[in-house]
Amino acid sequence: MKKALAIVGSLWLACSSLVGWAAENSARVKTWKTVEELTEAEKRDIDLRTETPRDPQCPYLPAEPYPFQPPYTAEEMGYCSMEFPHISRWSHIMADAYGSLTSGGYLNQGITIGLNYYMPGSGMRGYLEHTAPGQEYYRLVFYYTYPPENWGAQELWVLYRTDQQATTKLDYFTYFPSLRRVRRQPQPRRGERFPNSVQSFDDIVGRDAWEFSWRIVGADVLYETVRFPTTRPSITLTDAGGHLREVPATQLKMMGDTYPFYTADGGVPCYVVEARTRQDWLPHYPASKLLYWLDRHYFYPLRIEQYDQAGRLRVVEVRIAKQENPALEDRGYAALITLYYDLSLDLMSYSVHDAHTVKEWSETDRKTLFGPDFMRRGWLMYPLKTHSLVRTPEEFYLRPLLYPDKFPRERTIEVAADVAARIQAQEAAGHLVFGAVGTTLTGP
Amino acid sequence: MGQHGEPGREHARLRRWVYLLLFLSLGGWGQPCAAGWLSDSWSRFDRYLATFDPAGRFVRQPIEKRIPALTFKGFYRQWSDILLTGNQQIGFRDKDFRFLQLQHLLEIEMHYQFSPHVELTNVNHFLYDGAYNWQHAAGLYAPRRTETMRVYHNFDRIVRELYLSYRTHSFDVVLGKQQIAWGKMDGRFIDVINAMDVREGVQLEASDFEYRRLPAWMANLTYFFGANSLNFLWIPNFEQDRNPVFGSPWFSPRLPPADTVVRANEAILRGRANAAGDTILRRKRPSAGDWGDHEYGVRLDVSMEPLTWGLIYYYAWNKNPTNFVVGRAVEDGATRLLVRPRHTRLHHFGLTADYATAFSGVPLVGELPIVLRVEGLWTKDVRFADFARIQAARSGDLNGGHVTRDTLRAAIAVEFAFPGNTAVILQPSLLYTFHWRETLGSGFGGAVGDEWNLIPVFFIERPFRFTRDRLRVSFTATPFLSGPTRDWQGVKTKLIASYNFSQFITGRIIYTAYSSGDRTDIYGQYDKWDNVGWEVSYEF
Repeated sequence: MKKALAIVGSLWLACSSLVGWAAENSARVKTWKTVEELTEAEKRDIDLRTETPRDPQCPYLPAEPYPFQPPYTAEEMGYCSMEFPHISRWSHIMADAYGSLTSGGYLNQGITIGLNYYMPGSGMRGYLEHTAPGQEYYRLVFYYTYPPENWGAQELWVLYRTDQQATTKLDYFTYFPSLRRVRRQPQPRRGERFPNSVQSFDDIVGRDAWEFSWRIVGADVLYETVRFPTTRPSITLTDAGGHLREVPATQLKMMGDTYPFYTADGGVPCYVVEARTRQDWLPHYPASKLLYWLDRHYFYPLRIEQYDQAGRLRVVEVRIAKQENPALEDRGYAALITLYYDLSLDLMSYSVHDAHTVKEWSETDRKTLFGPDFMRRGWLMYPLKTHSLVRTPEEFYLRPLLYPDKFPRERTIEVAADVAARIQAQEAAGHLVFGAVGTTLTGP
Repeated sequence: MGQHGEPGREHARLRRWVYLLLFLSLGGWGQPCAAGWLSDSWSRFDRYLATFDPAGRFVRQPIEKRIPALTFKGFYRQWSDILLTGNQQIGFRDKDFRFLQLQHLLEIEMHYQFSPHVELTNVNHFLYDGAYNWQHAAGLYAPRRTETMRVYHNFDRIVRELYLSYRTHSFDVVLGKQQIAWGKMDGRFIDVINAMDVREGVQLEASDFEYRRLPAWMANLTYFFGANSLNFLWIPNFEQDRNPVFGSPWFSPRLPPADTVVRANEAILRGRANAAGDTILRRKRPSAGDWGDHEYGVRLDVSMEPLTWGLIYYYAWNKNPTNFVVGRAVEDGATRLLVRPRHTRLHHFGLTADYATAFSGVPLVGELPIVLRVEGLWTKDVRFADFARIQAARSGDLNGGHVTRDTLRAAIAVEFAFPGNTAVILQPSLLYTFHWRETLGSGFGGAVGDEWNLIPVFFIERPFRFTRDRLRVSFTATPFLSGPTRDWQGVKTKLIASYNFSQFITGRIIYTAYSSGDRTDIYGQYDKWDNVGWEVSYEF
């Protein structure tokens, strides 16, 4: 009898919680449209075809040369969105503050100084036109300065363009002061999240559009991506000159202050496109498909959803972007704050790319800084500062909105009862709420 | 043959403690799954620990604020190993202790940046091992021989590193007391520059080398050209290895004389005589004041991604002295040798290389990234004690008591990245003595007790998703094959569970077992040394 009561009780709790998070965005009118619901004017810039002419030399590329002209197919949007991986496609330095938080409140954070050398000039064009499969295109050095355990640890990533024959994506070297030696590591498995994080290797370096089949799902207007809790009204950011400034959370816009296409009520109009994993390119890949919310003008991905092999929503990635490289104009947007949320683990990870400074590396720098041997020196050449870490678990970013009402035919969302309860409690409180379902939920 | 009457009861009591410890340590893993009070309390504990960094807050941060050019950090680590077998006489040893170590280590590390190119680094260690005081054991009397087994009490040990570095794009100069780790692999193949404190004997692991290497005063110059580098070392300050001594937990049970004899014989305890009654003279060590006694090394590293490789040459001293028979005397009808331990010159030639690739379309796993590492060290002119020659010297044919041989130690490792962040490493290692014969003792780089040793190490490690990867478990098996005489010298197995309590505090539980092999074999002799350890580390 007790067991039956417990089951009924759990179901009631789960249902009420689901109702709670389903209503999370009900304050707004319907913001999304399926393809069928788009007006002719809205369809003017899009091409709904999924089969288009191919490049004669490289059949997996569209025949139309990059950058494309409207109307855009979903595939072309996918290629355009490749301009904006997690780490920008231009040479720069930055301080990356990152961290993960479990539902119980276990907070794990770090800071790494990134020295990034993008070889084929700036942007996607160099990648597509000047980088052959099997050829390297990006060298990334990460120097860890926090937490103390990782101080002085370094990584070197040498990224390669891949195809079905050249499958090595990364040469990966590490240096730990405790080992005092540079060690080559196997490249991480691409779709698999890093330990104690939601981020996968592909989340960081980006995905190649030719490994997916593309389809336009519809359009939407986003009003929020990364959300701050009421317990953290502002964030300290560092500019390229090293100056610190306290920025109220309410002043952070999804595409930064200079983006000209906000709607009157502050939204960003987006196309929603599906990228379905091609088994002939990525067999055994953990994600069966991804849904991208791409801003309609630059195709910047403000929200990316990953679905598991059973078709269920597994990871949500949301971003706040900023124009960091004005010389590149519409291609100069970079991720300022990125939040990842794994629904099955109720685990969140964030990354703040602070003190972003565009950098033209000298010939000497290129030769010395970006080789494995350089790490042995333990030389932090650019000691950038960031104060954007989260101070306490209670001040961590909110779980991103799940929008269960949007595109229900395309999106299967299953949330465990306890997670749904925590989401509901979070939305009610305006900050994260920790503790177990069925007991007193605790927060700050 | 236990010394105490109730080893069974004691064993059971010990097991209960181990189970309790495991329960307490691992009880929190189920936190995300468990409901109710325990889960809520654990959540509060997690959030409390997330910001628990008292040394960082009250020591590091105020110091760094006051002196902006200074980076101050450190850690406190407590690690203990407890034997799972009762007290008993093993070989020549009184194994009447349970704790192999109760070590407390505080490290303080400071970097002062004078300019972007000039930095002063200082690393200090404060170590105390309670194993010698916190248990009653007649078998542990090593501090009578050397106090550093119990506590670091002198400048040499406390000030581990102190060096000034000057760096430009293409040139590094590092002057002072420092440690160097050459090589790319786990284990010591070309990592031969510094001596090592091998107090844990066969239980010393690669992860402890950082704290067990014995830094030396040297000049370390590196020239960088492109993605390659050329490194020169000039080492005037010689440091020898520190091996387990009589009365320490890991001193070999197969080496005579018995503890009862050593405790009563100051000459043997101090290393002035051996079990055969021979007189051991004062060790002759290289002099820092003599240029001819200095050590020199050179290393070339070349990066040709996806292949990187390197070559080394090291003109060094053997870190362990060779006993030279220098005289013979007959007293009361017994022949006594006069022995002078001396360090001898070695020529080390080494190579190292690694290569990475990823296979696609592998059944069951799809993509399979791998790394291949190779490392080898050929050492010329290694002196080996030759028992036939020592016997001849004892019989009147006076000779040094040793022969010179070349040795090779090499390994090949393949590391796989399997799904679930599971890492697997297979690393067969070979130790080989050229022109070996049965009367030889041991020498640098050569096989132990045989012509060749083959050690195919297997390692697997993975984090556990249900703990959000805070729990990692690893397993290592180190079988020791040997030929042509011994065949099998036992196997060491190690199981480690490590748990991140916070980003500052980590705990580990380690089970180590030594199985099979004969009582005179490398692992077989430690058959009764199976132990469980715990390690708590706080970094600030």
